[in-house]
Amino acid sequence: MQKGNHWKTIWRLIRPDAWRYVGLAIVLAAASALPLAGPIVVRHIIDSAIDGTTTGAVVRWGTIYLIVAIASQAATVLVAFLSTVLAWRTANGLRLQLTEHVLGLDQEFHRSHPPGELIHRVDGDVTSVSDLLGRVSVTIGGAVLLVAGMVVAVTVIDWRLGIAMVIYAGLGLYVLAGQRDRALDEATDESAVKARLYGEIEEQLTASLDIRSNGAGAYGLRRLIEVSSDALPIVVGREVNYVRAYARTMVVVASGMVAVLVSGALLTGRDVLTVGTAFLLFQFTMLLRRPLELAIDELPMVHKASGAAVRVGELLDMKASIVFDGSASPSPGPLAVQFEGVSFDYGEELVLDDINLVLPAGESTGIVGRTGSGKTTLSRLVLRLVEATEGTVSIGGTSIADIAESELRHRIALVPQEVQLLAGTVRDNVALFDRSIADADIVAALTEVGLDRLVESGVDTPVGSAGVGLSAGEAQLLALARVWLRKPDVVVLDEATARVDPGTERVLQEAIGHLLEGRTSLVIAHRLSTLRHVDNVLVLDHGRVVEFGKRVELEADPTGRYARLLALALAESA
Amino acid sequence: MMNVWRLSWNAATFRSKDYFLAFFYFLIFFMVPALDGVLIGRAFDSLTNGEPERVYTIAGVLLVTETIHMISIYFAVRYFVKAFWLIDSMLRANMLAAQIASGGDDAAESVASSGEAITHFRDDPEDVTHFLDSWIDVSAGTVFAIVAVTILGGVNAGATVALVIPMAAVFIVTWLLDTRIQQFRAADRKATVAVTGALGDVFASATSIKVNGATKPTLRHLSGLFDIRRGTAVRDRVLEDGLLAFARGSSEYSFAITIIVAAGAIASGRFDTGDFAIFAVFLTYLGFLPRMVGRMMARREQARVAFDGMSELVAGGDREKLVVHRFLPFEDPSLLPSRVLPVRTPLRSLRVESLAARFDGGGGVENVSFELRPGTLTVVTGVVGAGKSTLLRTLLGLESNAETSGAVFWNDEVILDRAAFFIPPQAAYLPQVPNLISDTFHANIGLGAGSMAEIEHALVLAALSDDLEQMPAGTQTMVGPRGLRLSGGQRQRLAAARAFVHRPELIVLDDLSSALDIETEVELWTNLAAAGATVLAVSHRQVAFERADQIIELSDGLRT
Repeated sequence: MQKGNHWKTIWRLIRPDAWRYVGLAIVLAAASALPLAGPIVVRHIIDSAIDGTTTGAVVRWGTIYLIVAIASQAATVLVAFLSTVLAWRTANGLRLQLTEHVLGLDQEFHRSHPPGELIHRVDGDVTSVSDLLGRVSVTIGGAVLLVAGMVVAVTVIDWRLGIAMVIYAGLGLYVLAGQRDRALDEATDESAVKARLYGEIEEQLTASLDIRSNGAGAYGLRRLIEVSSDALPIVVGREVNYVRAYARTMVVVASGMVAVLVSGALLTGRDVLTVGTAFLLFQFTMLLRRPLELAIDELPMVHKASGAAVRVGELLDMKASIVFDGSASPSPGPLAVQFEGVSFDYGEELVLDDINLVLPAGESTGIVGRTGSGKTTLSRLVLRLVEATEGTVSIGGTSIADIAESELRHRIALVPQEVQLLAGTVRDNVALFDRSIADADIVAALTEVGLDRLVESGVDTPVGSAGVGLSAGEAQLLALARVWLRKPDVVVLDEATARVDPGTERVLQEAIGHLLEGRTSLVIAHRLSTLRHVDNVLVLDHGRVVEFGKRVELEADPTGRYARLLALALAESA
Repeated sequence: MMNVWRLSWNAATFRSKDYFLAFFYFLIFFMVPALDGVLIGRAFDSLTNGEPERVYTIAGVLLVTETIHMISIYFAVRYFVKAFWLIDSMLRANMLAAQIASGGDDAAESVASSGEAITHFRDDPEDVTHFLDSWIDVSAGTVFAIVAVTILGGVNAGATVALVIPMAAVFIVTWLLDTRIQQFRAADRKATVAVTGALGDVFASATSIKVNGATKPTLRHLSGLFDIRRGTAVRDRVLEDGLLAFARGSSEYSFAITIIVAAGAIASGRFDTGDFAIFAVFLTYLGFLPRMVGRMMARREQARVAFDGMSELVAGGDREKLVVHRFLPFEDPSLLPSRVLPVRTPLRSLRVESLAARFDGGGGVENVSFELRPGTLTVVTGVVGAGKSTLLRTLLGLESNAETSGAVFWNDEVILDRAAFFIPPQAAYLPQVPNLISDTFHANIGLGAGSMAEIEHALVLAALSDDLEQMPAGTQTMVGPRGLRLSGGQRQRLAAARAFVHRPELIVLDDLSSALDIETEVELWTNLAAAGATVLAVSHRQVAFERADQIIELSDGLRT
């Protein structure tokens, strides 16, 4: 990762709102100038008191001081409001962009990054970046503007003081700068260690039933303690780093005070400085402390946010290995699926080995084989969720690599093995948040797959703990309804009826039969009874085609592999 | 009525030594400015009177006091960061322990969504330690305030008394906005939970969303949730910052009031530049106190919301359980006791009497009774929604979301805490959809117990040995997050091995076949029979029925 890339990421984000940020800077400048008026008023009071003044005049100046203080606080609140609104605009844009990007990444990416970690990276990291834009930059920018204002104010009193102030500010800045990059690495570290912690917790919560029923609470707790304990030196290290930075502010302020006192002692005697001016300089150094402390308070946030921005940048730079750059669309209607010399491996592990097949258009093909024989991979290849290491997969004579993504998704559908429900309504879960789908279509799809129960409670009923609960089998039916809505030309059923009992399966088979009518389909099944109505059967073993042909013919050949499997499972079809 | 103060105190005393050392160093850090104020006042007096030598001496002393100032903050931070991380970790450990405990008083109902629950682990503990942080600030600030007010009173009693006005104003405003802050905070939390929950669901369903071409509508849905959260966040932030600005401004108002009240003394020269300096220094720090009290009030509300949120994860929503001081050796996790298996109670008979589980929304099981003997296979069957899985979970004491009744007898002895009893080596359970941990095969099977030989044996029983031979790292192969590096069938068989490893008296299988092909399933049944296992299984396959000693058919939750 190259240095400075996180600033590029951040710039990319704020560019559309650049003018709004400029407006914010102007309001911030006004808010930073107001606090300078107070010490100027006090200088006047002190010098006039030494020269002789009236109680009434002092009261007048005291009142002015009060009004300025109130105006100054009001300006601070205005800045807070504007900056928060703006930062959240930008951050929410980034969250959407990241979510879209992550959804577009390969299955392999999702295999190795659990949802808990992705939540942390898409939400937690972006929140850090948004804090930087909305709060941290305002605090730090405000401190810088305040110092600039002070330089101007003392220059008006005496240009030599102005020069001294610039030198002081320069030295101060020199002391305050530094050790940023080391802190940056540590912040990245801390992010990573926290992502690991929350990933661990999320995983254990998901597996809670498994851990409970195995009496393995001690094991789970030990894992948590280990991760928490690994994080301790990193968390403490980051804060100690921050104290070092804080100590630098203290050095700057303390040396400022001492410098004011010493130069006051040197210069008041020579009538260069009035006591009132010495007091003004003293108040300025005091005034500096708060913004500097706040800026230092926020400095870890800069580190944290830079670390987060690096990670956001890394995530955005991660490219899907499967690129959809084609624009072809196969002719309408049922499509034949063809495999030409298709092989697939995960590194050393060969999953599919030189597959050559044509699945005829409009026909259904059952795929059987032991676990690990490559059934699921074969179906993922057709959906282009994974890319063949060698060979070509085509539908309707067009290589799927040449087909536009929206077209491919429109033409090929999947009913997966495991269905994850989404927090939302029945409608959200069937239409996947697509508002343009009419209620009537959703009701029709639900009725078609036998989920009348959900129709009765209404499509706007929430799914899950707050509304209707769904069993694993019903979730499977719901996934079927999703496909039903889309009317695809090729359907992949990946053990779609695995979690359904035989009674429900019979109902479901009818719905599936109806769905597959006139469509090309790949039906992966453990239960051979599922394949009673398919046209063709493909038997896979260790990534190779063992048998492929018309189901009726294979059933009739007693020496064939399929017939043997059938004999073994004969009882199943009873 | 929950006592946030006492709960937080219990949390703080988990690490008393670190917490109180942090307080001690903070106190030093706060008292140095009291000395500085007096010194600077003297310096300005000397400046006005034209005594430069005294000014140089004071400047030298200031350098020393400021050095002490720096050293004290360094140690204070070291101790409090450590204390707070460990307190956070304790809160997380107590929540997680409740979520993964097998029965007993500490076991809580499982959360519905782990994505939503994660915010209770991520943000809530920090809100509690932020509150504890405020305690240190306020108590050290109070000691400073007493000293400062005594000194200021000696300089100008009238102006010092007048300081009550801005200070009281900060208290009152904070008090009035207290409830609002809490409401805004809760709304913001809710919006955040909705966002993280939705993101978790979306990432878990990434493939479905992709193949259904539903990315755009999904993003639109998320965008709506993001916008709601932006609204709640802006409200929360502006109110908090407004309050803070007012509290911080109080030192400015105080200074203005001092000038007005002491105007006569100033004009006559009795209130001199040195007095201005002492007031200026002390008021800056005195302004800290109402601000910190204001912040503490706000944080008390945040801590209350946090305790509320976290209590959803512990048994009976009992907040006391969040702050139980558990043995958590963070400095050396190896001191943690390893998992110990309970003593084996050989099974002679298992009797289930009138077992029932009723869900609020209807459904469940009703009045199921049966008995089973060692070495037999009992198959539970029925249509979807008949309550098969519920029956198994109720028997094992894992059904926390339903109202349950009935009794289970092990060797004629009634088992009261079934979740605590039905664990290996008494019983092992293989859920319909097993969940794995991102660790090795070895760790996932043994879950912190079990010898190599036992694990090898379980691998053979679960028909997993052949798969492992193809993996170079063998049982040390990582399974990936949630076991996603494995195929569905491998996950199922790994979970089966996990159920077999401690040779349980009773094996409870919920639909073993759903992710297995017929050949593998036959192999598993054969292996179990050969091992003489006692099995209670949900199935609708003939291979299971053929081997069954008894078949229980459920329909609408009733045995038929």
